[in-house]
Amino acid sequence: MKKLLLSTTALLFALAIGPAFAQETIVVGTDVDAGTLDSRLTRDTTAYRVADLIYSGLVHITPQLEVVPDLAESWETPDPQTFIFKLRDGLKFSDGTPLTADDVVYTYTTLLNPDFNAPMRTLYTPIQSVEKVDDLTVKFSLDAPYAPLLSYLDLGIVPQELAEGGHDIATQPVGAGPMKLTSWNRGAEIALEANPEYWGGAPQIEKVTLKIIPDNSARAQAFEAGDLDVIQSPLSPQDISRLAGDDRFGNAIMPGLGVTYINFNTKDPLLSDPKMRQAFSMLVDQQTIVSDIYQDVDKVASSVLLPSSWAYSPDIKQPTFNIEGAVALFNELGWTDSNGDGILDKDGNKLTVTLATHSEDPNRVQTIEFLQTMFSQAGVDAKTQITDWPSFSTNYVQKSQHQIALLGWLNIVDPDRLLFSQLTTGGSTNWGGYSNPKVDELLQKGRSSLDQQERAAAYQEAAKILAEELPYFIVSYQGYQLFYDKELPTEVTATPRGYLRGLIGMEN
Amino acid sequence: MIAYLIRRLLLFIPMAMGMVVVTFGLLLIIPGDPASVLLGQEASPEAIERLRDSLGLNDPWYVRLWDYFASLLSGDLGTSIFQNQPVATIILGRLGATIELAIAALVIATVLGLAMGVVSAMRQGSIIDTITMIFAQLGVSMPVYWLSLLLMLAFAVQLGWLPAIGRGMPLPEAFWAAITGRPQALIESLSHLLLPALALSATPAAIISRLTRTSMLEMLREDFVRTAYAKGLRRPRVIIRHVLRNALLPVLSVIGLRFGMLLGGAVLTESIFAWPGLGQLTITAISQRDLPLIQGIVLTFALIFALVNLLVDLLYAAVDPRVRLG
Repeated sequence: MKKLLLSTTALLFALAIGPAFAQETIVVGTDVDAGTLDSRLTRDTTAYRVADLIYSGLVHITPQLEVVPDLAESWETPDPQTFIFKLRDGLKFSDGTPLTADDVVYTYTTLLNPDFNAPMRTLYTPIQSVEKVDDLTVKFSLDAPYAPLLSYLDLGIVPQELAEGGHDIATQPVGAGPMKLTSWNRGAEIALEANPEYWGGAPQIEKVTLKIIPDNSARAQAFEAGDLDVIQSPLSPQDISRLAGDDRFGNAIMPGLGVTYINFNTKDPLLSDPKMRQAFSMLVDQQTIVSDIYQDVDKVASSVLLPSSWAYSPDIKQPTFNIEGAVALFNELGWTDSNGDGILDKDGNKLTVTLATHSEDPNRVQTIEFLQTMFSQAGVDAKTQITDWPSFSTNYVQKSQHQIALLGWLNIVDPDRLLFSQLTTGGSTNWGGYSNPKVDELLQKGRSSLDQQERAAAYQEAAKILAEELPYFIVSYQGYQLFYDKELPTEVTATPRGYLRGLIGMEN
Repeated sequence: MIAYLIRRLLLFIPMAMGMVVVTFGLLLIIPGDPASVLLGQEASPEAIERLRDSLGLNDPWYVRLWDYFASLLSGDLGTSIFQNQPVATIILGRLGATIELAIAALVIATVLGLAMGVVSAMRQGSIIDTITMIFAQLGVSMPVYWLSLLLMLAFAVQLGWLPAIGRGMPLPEAFWAAITGRPQALIESLSHLLLPALALSATPAAIISRLTRTSMLEMLREDFVRTAYAKGLRRPRVIIRHVLRNALLPVLSVIGLRFGMLLGGAVLTESIFAWPGLGQLTITAISQRDLPLIQGIVLTFALIFALVNLLVDLLYAAVDPRVRLG
């Protein structure tokens, strides 16, 4: 018995000191499993983050959203429609095979093929052709000048030979990034290790494991219990304030690259008049939504331009919360409470509107319910419709069947990403049917000029019009949060995109 | 007996076909399709339409249903739209974890439930009886979700005794590792298993304890018990050989039914404790409208449910001499 006790004690001791040896492994908690790890087909945050470690692109985007060289050593633009990239010498994939211009051409050609069904294909459609000049030189030719292109060229380059030879890149990815995949236990964890073939040398941290914990609260608790070294957005606002107050943990809390916004269906008879949209916008109490529902993790938004962007201007302002003003505007448009039932009406019709969002995000559901109350205080009979994402997106908003819908856009690395497809006439994601020739012209100018000042001026002018006509009412700028164990061996740098190179001893 | 078995197993075929049709119908009714989920918000309507075509989602429903049956008959469950792997491979990779969790929860629930039920029946009206029944009441009414977070908060975050999330080595492998000299693997597996199993066992433990208690109390009043005492048998022998054995019959069928319920409960428990089983997979598959995967999971659950019920019926016959199968 005594012997058993002794060995058990020794065993517990061994278990207790176990983690000390595994210090070079960083365990990151994440909310969903990656769908595919083919860099061209990634479509969820986990896949983006893992692909950023496994692959390298021509360029890298810094936390300040600057474009810096990665696989490409340098590039030139002889004319606004041509980009020529010079690759670094001696690049290799993690399996040791060389990476050449052929792989770059292959990656972009397949991505642009409509039958390949790449989710992000729209971002690259202005590319007319990608050609190899020599083994280390690639030429991109565009249909029209397209300034945001560089921000999207961090797309991971895949090995042509492997991919064409039937190797399944989606489940066994091979790239030229700082880490490589060691194992992927679906639904549980993704394990990575340092890639010695990386052009910048193997990173300081030897191993990174991403553990998939779908429940936000459970993930925060697992972090507090020490099972995880790092967690990041999405997190519940309540958990964020608790973790921020815990001095065992370091944090990076910064503005993110997403917005939460109201999409007005400008084709709906009730909402086709910009004044109606203004009146409804004035019923959105942004301050209360941000401080009470989002616990100040997100910030009150003032226009379609993000404060972190070079295009931002504090002078552009959407309407602010003002119930009386909204009611006055409704009255001006002929909506009055003529029968004294507390609800505005016009020509015998009640002012009825449907507020919709999706059920996955409890904060959005709460926001919609709060808006319903504010609307009814102003005499608007507001109904709510809350369904899960597939129903909400496919069968409702994307079919323009909504009136007022609350949703979001992410990864706004360039103003073009939030505006062009969404708000130009006939744009592929212009679900509200908004159309204004002046805005079309400005957004076109914004994407075709290569001069940042000129671009900023175009976007600011467009933003000013949008703040009055309101096809979108931006409710809040989303925040990004990262929490980490202070005992981590490396200096942690964070990026609003949530990428992880800043955790493994690299500059992000 | 063998004829009975064969008949029961054959019955599974129409049942499975029914399940497929019902699931298929439900998936037709709920809005939202995988193509748009797969391509994300930024995709153009043309791109979505093209993908719908290539996934065959634009075919009439009877064509799709027929295709599915045809591939089922050739033993193919199809390919997951999102994971791009055969559905059978994905499910087999997850099934072990769920069965391990469900069996562990069932064992805990049975031991706890029987013990509490027997003790409170023997001491009916006592303080122990009251306490046990309060526990039972709590167990039935506490949502698994809440209980799971509470257990995690207490044992992982505050006390730090057990890991909060994840799974160790699969138990059979861990046992083997322990035999071959690496007992820490077994300890680790068990420590990961304990919290989710405990959370999952609360409801069935409560139900089993209440049922055992009622059933015991009924038996204690039976004539044959009085006869047993009159024969001069000692109390422990009467309780174990006569009362408990008879009282257990209804409990047994409930335990079997509960196993099916546990699979349902595992859906929530698994996603909280990041237990890589079928439950977690179910939630993801539904939220992505991954139709072949949902079909596959439903079929698997149905098969398990049917097999467990069959097992319970067989056990019933073994325990109760009045039951004859045939």
